[in-house]
Amino acid sequence: MSYNKEILTLAVEIGDELLRNGGEIYRVEDTIFHILKAFEIENYDVYVLSNGIFASANEDSDESCSIIRHVPLGDVHLGRIAAINQLSREISEKKCDLKTAWDRLEQCRSIPLPKPATLTFFAGLGCSCYTYIFGGNFLDAIFAFLFGMILEIYLIYTRRKKTSKFISNIVGSAFVTFASLFVLHLGLPVLQDKIVIGDIMPLVPGVALTTSIRDLFNGDYLSGAIHLLDALLTAMCIAVGVGSMIILYQYIPGGVPLL
Amino acid sequence: MILQVIAATFAVASFSILFSVPKDQCILAALNGGIAWFSYLFLSQLGAGPAVSSLGATLLLTLLARLFALHRKHPVTIYLMAGIFPLVPGSGIYYTSYYFIMSDMESFVAKGTETFKVAGAIALGIIFGFALPQKFLLFARRKFPY
Repeated sequence: MSYNKEILTLAVEIGDELLRNGGEIYRVEDTIFHILKAFEIENYDVYVLSNGIFASANEDSDESCSIIRHVPLGDVHLGRIAAINQLSREISEKKCDLKTAWDRLEQCRSIPLPKPATLTFFAGLGCSCYTYIFGGNFLDAIFAFLFGMILEIYLIYTRRKKTSKFISNIVGSAFVTFASLFVLHLGLPVLQDKIVIGDIMPLVPGVALTTSIRDLFNGDYLSGAIHLLDALLTAMCIAVGVGSMIILYQYIPGGVPLL
Repeated sequence: MILQVIAATFAVASFSILFSVPKDQCILAALNGGIAWFSYLFLSQLGAGPAVSSLGATLLLTLLARLFALHRKHPVTIYLMAGIFPLVPGSGIYYTSYYFIMSDMESFVAKGTETFKVAGAIALGIIFGFALPQKFLLFARRKFPY
């Protein structure tokens, strides 16, 4: 592999890893630029979308090379983004040669996700706290904790099985609504709506919304639109899941009136 | 109110763990979320509507996230992403779909408009927060070293 090609591959691999773990478009572009500049490649072009990278270097010489990469929208892992940010900073300060850069990239890639048990516990804790701050009482928070944990277990399972995000959002929010309605139907004095609001928090598209706004602000309209569409569709899926369960509940004789 | 802010801090802390924020940065991220929720409540108590309160809280959140990022030399996203969650209109989505299903069109339109307004206000808050040039932040850091 020629020297040019190897550097371009390194830069695109690093950009790929950033994009995959939820980096913004301008950060990915900047990182690739800085790396190419640090290794003294002069003639280059990079175009990044929220699910793809196009890059070329030295188009006008014999050593020309280009790379196209498809990057699926993935889960957010901010720890890896921080690590890669550190790596790219060191590369652009020329503290890091090609060989170490590859090794470091491999290290960044292998930063693990938190253990499923940890994820489950903290999802439950987060859900119960949200239930509380949106006006639930202590009992609601306890139920939100339980349902939030079950929801997270389901989400981890679907991530492994690579189920479509739409289905997992609809089923997840439907489950949460069903569980809260069940508790309400048992006659416990819970605020059913607060439990649902707390528990749909892990599904709510906060990340997609933030990323899309930042992309739009930086002038990456296409990528911003992709994330905005993602956020809107996710919100709609949650509405469908919650709504279907409430409709079903209307048909149960003797249902307690809601709200 | 103090209990609410503490709960918000814990909520943001647990969500930053879900997003695998590096462990040593979790505390700052959670603190940021707590401060944002406090300012939201504070503005609401002054009589501001949900949209204006969200705008103010998001603006503060973004600026603080940028300051933390400068201080710790980490990407801004780390401090911003989890902290935005208490402000995102999750309850808006719920009530909008609920009123839609109950055919309560008046409440549906009112709640739906409010949800969109809050989402727009969050967008504006982030945009204003990032529109402030980096120089001001550097200046602020030099003036008030911490």
